[in-house]
Amino acid sequence: MALLDPITRRRFKRFCSIKRGYYSFLLLLGFIVFSCFAEIFVNSRAVVVVYKGDWYFPTYGAMKPGTAFGLDYGYETNYRELKAKFEMNKDTSEGWVLLPLIPYNPLENDLVEGIYPPSAPDFSRSHYLGTDNSGRDVAARLIYGFRICIFFALFYVLCNYTVGVSLGALMGYSGGRFDLIMQRLIEIWSNIPFLYVVMIVSSILAPNFFTLAIIMVVFGWMHMTWYMRTAVYKEKTRDYSVAARALGAKPQRVIFHHILPNAVSTIVAFVPFSIAGAIYSLTSLDYLGYGLSPPTPSWGELLAQGTGQLDKPWIVMSVVCALVLVLTLVTFFGEAIREAFDPRKHTVYE
Amino acid sequence: MKPEPLLTVKDLKVHFPIQGGIFLRRQGTVYAVNGVNFSLPPGQTLGLVGESGCGKTTVGRAILNLIEATSGEINFMGQNIHSLTTPKLRQLRREMQIVFQDPFESLNPRHSVRDILLEPFIIHNVGDDASREKSVKELAERVGLGASALNRFPHEFSGGQRQRIGIARAIALKPKFIVCDEPVSALDVSIQSQIINLLIELQREMGLAYLFIAHDLAVVKHVSDVVAVMYLGKIVEIAGAQQLYKNPRHPYTQALLSAIPSTDPEADLTKKQILKGEPASPSSLPRGCAFYSRCPIGSEECLQKVPELLDLLPEENNSSQSGVALDAHQVACFKVPVRKT
Repeated sequence: MALLDPITRRRFKRFCSIKRGYYSFLLLLGFIVFSCFAEIFVNSRAVVVVYKGDWYFPTYGAMKPGTAFGLDYGYETNYRELKAKFEMNKDTSEGWVLLPLIPYNPLENDLVEGIYPPSAPDFSRSHYLGTDNSGRDVAARLIYGFRICIFFALFYVLCNYTVGVSLGALMGYSGGRFDLIMQRLIEIWSNIPFLYVVMIVSSILAPNFFTLAIIMVVFGWMHMTWYMRTAVYKEKTRDYSVAARALGAKPQRVIFHHILPNAVSTIVAFVPFSIAGAIYSLTSLDYLGYGLSPPTPSWGELLAQGTGQLDKPWIVMSVVCALVLVLTLVTFFGEAIREAFDPRKHTVYE
Repeated sequence: MKPEPLLTVKDLKVHFPIQGGIFLRRQGTVYAVNGVNFSLPPGQTLGLVGESGCGKTTVGRAILNLIEATSGEINFMGQNIHSLTTPKLRQLRREMQIVFQDPFESLNPRHSVRDILLEPFIIHNVGDDASREKSVKELAERVGLGASALNRFPHEFSGGQRQRIGIARAIALKPKFIVCDEPVSALDVSIQSQIINLLIELQREMGLAYLFIAHDLAVVKHVSDVVAVMYLGKIVEIAGAQQLYKNPRHPYTQALLSAIPSTDPEADLTKKQILKGEPASPSSLPRGCAFYSRCPIGSEECLQKVPELLDLLPEENNSSQSGVALDAHQVACFKVPVRKT
């Protein structure tokens, strides 16, 4: 903490004192960390298998064929069946299996003879939120979908801000003709309808995680330039950056050392809302079928399935609840950040 | 034998365009500085006074090339700063520095005092870490802050202390010339004298030349060797400090000096010259003398022509004891007997 300058420290303290935002942030952070280790909690692979005295941890690493545990097939072990088998032959005690909380991965179809998916929540089969149209576990898809969604949003916002902040800073710093021409170009570019064009481009390119993010950045970077441009314009005429220029500092030093740290509140206050926007955009694209290609677990796709059959409410209910929860948390977090970074709170004489 | 001037400003003009419309067409011009001439020998102080908006600050910043001059020549240490390449100019910036008016604005609130004082050394790549640290400590002590101040941040200091930090930053690389842009006008009177004395001490020690911009005439008289009075972008009178205060010739200077509050309660207030009206707008200068609209002695001639800054006739110069003052007193007024060129 001693390394941070006093303004940042004060803002951080203030942020922590805004309880709603602070706990939302912690909860959100918890979700993200949890989703990073989702393989341990939500997986078709077992967490631990003890077979004939040997310990196995199949979660990460190469797949273990059924023959490794005395089964008669060479493809990947079905740990749920293995567990059932061990429990049947308890007396021979070949070993035991610890399955994850939700013993399904988001891509596998758990089909039961005679039942046509989707099936309602069934605790005995550990489908806590039921299954979707092709018999995949809804909870597993929600959790893995969240992981993809949040990291997509973070990556997208990072790229977006890198482009927007640097161009905006450049425009504000150089001013004049460059600024004028860029402003007009950005105005024109901003008038392209975002989702519409992203849909067209992604229907041609069939994008993956990174290409979709890049496509979205290409059509979405403009927003930040306005705020940065104004902030830099303001900071550049303040005496401390004039002083730096008088000392002979090069433009990059003035921008990165003096202007950006003081303009950072503008950027940071927008980040959570941009993340919420990105989650929303990705979900909409997936909903319409122009986002990440199937079978990637995705909230938009679940939403599409759920709204398609409202008589099977567990699908739409779970995804809507998850969306509302996450977006609310992000928004609370954003509000607290904005409040903590509000410059008016810090210009009081103490 | 006059010493070679450190700084010569010839016919400096700074005009700002007033732009408007979507293509930023020029719709007018603000004549902020409109033909300023002076020279400054090393180790001396030129006081620049004038009311708000007369272009004093712009002159200071144009000399440091922080604002681009429209025309004119600025020679610093024998080099025309407008003809220098950017890296050469950057190099030359070691020799010329600035102290700002507002000590709350001029220090980056996110940098500790150490960062602020280290910056000149980092920018010009002077010394290694150990020697920089030593220099920074010396600087802080020189301006009366003490080494304990280094780890603190600007907001923890009072206005006077912050101004000391600003001065320390300006003298870090031992420049030859500092523009003091109203360095004390944001401070309490009690602090003002401390800062002025610090500046004078530093000048004696380091042989600094100052361009001392201010509107407080008493302060300027105390620090300056030569004083120039500006009105609407032009110098209207320039003379040795003693000479100017004793024998002001331009009606504007006379009005300014008579506006200094007197400490004598018996003084005759009716003798005070009080200027009427506002100065003309720098974006639409009148054709003749810019001061005409407020001048008590103006005549037809002043409406037609712009008076030039010319030497006062020697017989008019009643304080001939100072050699510097004699040939330095120049006035831009038709009503004052001046040597015609």
